[in-house]
Amino acid sequence: MLLDIILLFLFAGVPYYVFFEKTNILGKDKVFILAALLVIVGMIVSNKFPQEISMPVIIVAFIASLFSLYKANKTTNLYKLTYYILFFNAPLLIMFKTKESILYGIALLVTLLGVYLMGRYYERSYGSANYQSVSGITLVTPYAGLILTIYFTALALYPPFPNALLFLNGILNSDTHVMWYLVVIVIFFGNFLIAMRVMAKTVFGKPNDNVHYIDVAVKERFVHLAIFTLLLVLSIVGLGELL
Amino acid sequence: MEKLVLFIPFIPIMIAILIGFLNKKEHMPKVAIFFSSLVALLALYGTYYVMSTDEAIYGFGGLLVFNELSAILVPYVAILGLVIRKYSTKYMWDEPGYKRFFILLNFIFSAIYLLVMSNNLIILTIAWQLMSIALYLLISFNVESKSAIKNGGWTMLVHKLADLFFIIAVILTYKTFGSFDLAELSQIWLEMSANPIDDPSIYAIGFLFLFAAMMKSAIIPFHLWLPYTSEAPTPVSALMHAGVVNVGGILLNKMAFLLLLTPAVLNVAFVMGLITAVFASILMLAVSDIKRSLGYSTVGQMGYMIMEVGLGAFSLAIYHLMVHGIFKASLFLESGSLINQARKDPNVPKRLSSEIFWKEKPQYNSINMFRMIAFFTVLPVIVFVGVKLLLGEDFFHFNSATLILAFAWLTGTQLFLSFFEVSKANSPKVILALISSFIIVLFTYEFVGLALEHFLYGKHGALFYEVATLHVSGTMTLLMLLAIMIVGWYFTYKQHFVGIPIGEHKPNKSKWRIYKMLAKEGYISDMYVKYFKIF
Repeated sequence: MLLDIILLFLFAGVPYYVFFEKTNILGKDKVFILAALLVIVGMIVSNKFPQEISMPVIIVAFIASLFSLYKANKTTNLYKLTYYILFFNAPLLIMFKTKESILYGIALLVTLLGVYLMGRYYERSYGSANYQSVSGITLVTPYAGLILTIYFTALALYPPFPNALLFLNGILNSDTHVMWYLVVIVIFFGNFLIAMRVMAKTVFGKPNDNVHYIDVAVKERFVHLAIFTLLLVLSIVGLGELL
Repeated sequence: MEKLVLFIPFIPIMIAILIGFLNKKEHMPKVAIFFSSLVALLALYGTYYVMSTDEAIYGFGGLLVFNELSAILVPYVAILGLVIRKYSTKYMWDEPGYKRFFILLNFIFSAIYLLVMSNNLIILTIAWQLMSIALYLLISFNVESKSAIKNGGWTMLVHKLADLFFIIAVILTYKTFGSFDLAELSQIWLEMSANPIDDPSIYAIGFLFLFAAMMKSAIIPFHLWLPYTSEAPTPVSALMHAGVVNVGGILLNKMAFLLLLTPAVLNVAFVMGLITAVFASILMLAVSDIKRSLGYSTVGQMGYMIMEVGLGAFSLAIYHLMVHGIFKASLFLESGSLINQARKDPNVPKRLSSEIFWKEKPQYNSINMFRMIAFFTVLPVIVFVGVKLLLGEDFFHFNSATLILAFAWLTGTQLFLSFFEVSKANSPKVILALISSFIIVLFTYEFVGLALEHFLYGKHGALFYEVATLHVSGTMTLLMLLAIMIVGWYFTYKQHFVGIPIGEHKPNKSKWRIYKMLAKEGYISDMYVKYFKIF
C-alpha cells in the first residue's frame, strides 16, 4: 500500500502543482521539470518493484486527472499546459503494466519536452509563453507551425506518433474493467480536446497585425529535429511492440 | 515482381518527403503526378495479376495484402488521385501553402491505400486514424477562416469518436478470437457461420464496427461534419466526397464475414441506411446553400451504401461507392470550369440534354402521359421479376432482392430527373429517356453487382443475403415494393408533370412548418452550435 501511495505521487497522480501555483515557490516553467523528474523516478521504482496498483489509487488519480483536464482547458500558457497534460495522463501511467507504462511515459515526456521548448521559444520571441494572441503561425512562421502541429498531433493520440501506438499497446495489454473503460475513454478524448483547442488558437487562425512574428531559429530547429528523431525511434518501438 | 504492388501505400509518403525538399513550385506537381502515375500503373498490374491468377498477393509478414477488394479499389483510388493532383496543379497555384497542400494530399492517399490493403487489425487501426488527421489538416487548409477551423474541429470530434469505437472493437476482437490477422479472422468467422453461436461480445464487436463505419461515412445522426466542410479547397471536397467518406463501406466489406455472425447488426445497418437515404435526400432538396445541398446528396448516397450492406449486398455497396465517387468528384471538379464559363457568358451555356428535353414543346395531355409513364416503368419491372423468377427462384427467397429492385426504379427516375432538366413540357422523348435510364440502372445494378459479388466473395456471396433477410413474407415485400414504386411515382408526377399556378398558390401552415424545419436541417446543426461549445 505504501508503494502504491509513493507511485501515485511520483506518477503525478496527485495535483501537487496547485501548491506551487498558489505559493510561487517554483516558477511555472520549473514545475514541469520537477514533475517530469518525479515521473522518471516513478518509472525506475515501478521497474524495480513491479506490482499491480489497487483500484482506490486509480480512482484518486482519475479524479485528479479530471481536475487537470479542467485546468488544461482554461490555460493559454504553454508551460502550464505541459504539466497539466502530464498530470492528466497519470491514471494511464498507473494503470498500465510496467513495461507499457514506461514506454508510454517516455513518449509523453519527450513530446511534452518539445512543447516545453516551444514555450521557451514563445517566451523569448513574444515575451511570454502565452499563445493567446499569437495565432496563424502556419502562415507567418511555418517552422514553428510545423513543430507545434507535430507535437499536438502526437498529444492528440494520432498515429504514426508513438503516443498513439504506445497508448494502444498499453490498453491492449491491460485487463479490462469498468474503471478501465472510463479512464481510457476520458483520457483518449481529453488529450484530443486539449490538443485541438491549442492548435485552433496557434497554428490556425488569422495572423495578428500587432505582433512581430519570429520563426524558430536554426539552432532550435536542430533541437526539435532531435526530438522528432526520438519520437520516430519510439514509433518504431511502439509498432514493434504492437505487432 | 508482383510483390512490388505492396509498396503502393509507401509511394505517396516518398512523394511527400521529396516535395518537402523541393523549392521550385513548378516541380512539385510534376513529381506528384509522375509517381502517382507509377502508383496507378502498379495498381493496374496488381489487378491484372489477381484476376489472372486468382491469387492474393501477401507481403510484409502478412500485414498487407492485395486481394480482390484491393484489386477493385486501389486502381480506383490511384486514378482518382492522379486526376485530383493534376487538377490541383493549376487550381491551387495561387493559394498560400502550395507545398503544404501537396504534402498533405499525399499523406491522405497513403492512409487510404494502407486502409484498403491492410490485412492486420493494427495496421487498419493506424490507417483508420491517420486518414482522419490528414483530413483535418486538409479541411483546415484555409487556416485564416474561422468557420473552416471550427467545422474541421467538429469533423475531428466525430472521427475521434469513430476511432474510439474502432479501437474498442479491435481490442474485443483480439480478446475474443485471439488474432489480428484479417485473413485468419475471416476464415474463423466463415467457419463459425455454419453453426452460429449467440455470443453478446460478437454482437458488441459487430455494432462497434458498424457505428465506427457510420460515423466516418456521415450516416444520420453522425452526418453533420460532411455538409459543413465544403469550405475546404475544391480538390479536397472532391477527395472527401469520392474517397474518404467511403471508408465505412470499405471497413464493413473487410468485416463482411464477421457480420455473418450478427444478423441484427445488418438489420440495424439497413434501417439506419434507409433513414439516412430518405432524410438526407429530402434535406438536399430543402437547404438553400448549394454546397451544403451537395453534402446532403453525398450523405444520402452513403445511406444507400450502408443500406445495401444491411441487405447483404456487400459487393453492390462497393460498386455504389465507386460510381457515386466518380460522379461526385466530377461534379466538384467541373464546378471551376462552369464558373469560368459563367463569367464569360451570363447565360450558362446549355447542355445537349437541356436542348433536347427542356425546349418548350406543344402541350400533351398530361393524364395520358401519366398513364404511359406508369405503364412503361411498371411493365419492365414485372418483366424483369418474371424473368428472374424463371431463371432462379432462390433470388426471391431474400427480401433484399425486391427492395433492391424498388430502389433501382427510384434511382432510375431520380437519375433522369436530376441529370436532365426535365420540364413540364412532356414528350415521348422524355418518357423514352425515363424508361431507358431505369432499364440501364436496373440491369447495371443486377449484372455488375453479380459480377462483383462473384469476384469478391465467390460462392459465399449468397450467405450474406440469407443472414440479412428481414424474415418478412414474400407477399409483404412485394407489397412494400409496390408501395415504394407508387409513392415514388406520385411524387415524381406531382413535382414535374403538374402545372402549379404561380402567384395563386399558397402553402398551408403545416406544410410551411415542415419546409422550414427541413430547410433548417431539422434544427440539428443549431442544437450542436447552441449546446456543444467545444471548439
